[in-house]
Amino acid sequence: MDDKYKFIDFLGLRFNVANDLSVLISAILVFILVFALSRKITMRPGKAQNVLEWMIDFTNSIVKSAMPDGSGRRFNLYAFVLFLFIFVSNQLGLIFQVKVGGFTYVKSPTTNPLITMGLATISLLLSHYYAVKKFGFGGYLSNYARPVKFLLPINLLEEFTNFLTLSLRLYGNIFAGEVLLALIGTVAKSVGAVTFVAAIPLAMVWQGFSVFIGAIQAYVFTTLSMVYISRKLEQE
Amino acid sequence: MAGLLVLGANQVALGDMLFVLVSFIILALAVKHFAWGPITKMMDARSEKITGDLDYADQERARAKKLAQEREDALKNSRAEAVGIVNKAKESGETQKKSILTEAHGEAEEVRQRAKSDADKAKQDAMAGAQKDIANLSLEIASKVISKELNADDQKSLIDSYIKELTVNETK
Repeated sequence: MDDKYKFIDFLGLRFNVANDLSVLISAILVFILVFALSRKITMRPGKAQNVLEWMIDFTNSIVKSAMPDGSGRRFNLYAFVLFLFIFVSNQLGLIFQVKVGGFTYVKSPTTNPLITMGLATISLLLSHYYAVKKFGFGGYLSNYARPVKFLLPINLLEEFTNFLTLSLRLYGNIFAGEVLLALIGTVAKSVGAVTFVAAIPLAMVWQGFSVFIGAIQAYVFTTLSMVYISRKLEQE
Repeated sequence: MAGLLVLGANQVALGDMLFVLVSFIILALAVKHFAWGPITKMMDARSEKITGDLDYADQERARAKKLAQEREDALKNSRAEAVGIVNKAKESGETQKKSILTEAHGEAEEVRQRAKSDADKAKQDAMAGAQKDIANLSLEIASKVISKELNADDQKSLIDSYIKELTVNETK
């Protein structure tokens, strides 16, 4: 909304401190979670290992639904990390936001379109890379004119719409969730004790819903990434 | 917020994209090294072990079935064998009984024969002995009777008769 951010210019690039700090925290949280769950790996899984294996099976099934033949196995790790990272990123801003001196330092990194575009870039670069690897550069280019030649412009356009829809869907959902949460916050502060008490159930309901949306969007982002990759890897 | 998306504006923090890219790659590598690698290895090993165990169980089941069949066959065979043995024993008992009986019969017959012959012999011996005894006895009695009742006259006549007889015999 009307948040102010600190920027750092480094090597001609501009960094948003809030985004980068949040990305870093999300990544560290994901790593701590996975690291803690994978300490005792045995043939007969314990509680922690069961949780981790359940998550792995979940993301593996996402990959498998997009690529039913065994070719999707190499994307299992990517889907797993992507899903966990986006999920934790979505929840981060719901759990805590840090503002110091009017500047936001920690929030959901996915409330910024640049971050979601960065994630979408990874997915689409992977899809292009594996398509070139599979069909050769010529075959990769000729796939744009399939199944019929006049679809070439539509296919080219699709690459951009894929990129934009993939990134902006995630950004829009999470950003809207946080905007509404902030609005509820201003409602709570607007009059006094009455609105404060009235806003509490609203905030609780919306936070619960945001957790749900965050999980759904992580799932959707991972699923669509895998679908785009699989579509690049097959000839129509 | 809108300023973030205005291209060409100096406000666009394109470094964030780079940052998220790099941190994501580092995160993926770290996760792969610390968790993904070991756990997928273990999951693969487990699925392999389960497949192996299932195969092994199938093998064992087939083997157990075969063994049970064999055992049943053996049981059936042994029952038949037992019946055969009993029958053979009965048969041999029967024949033994018969042979013992005939042997006993023969022996009894022999014993009887021997007893009979012994008795006959004893009877004959007794008869012979008795004849002899009777002869001796009668001779003694006769001699006693003769010595008692033969007086002089009789003796004389007897002697005479003997002599007569002798002479008759000599003349012949």
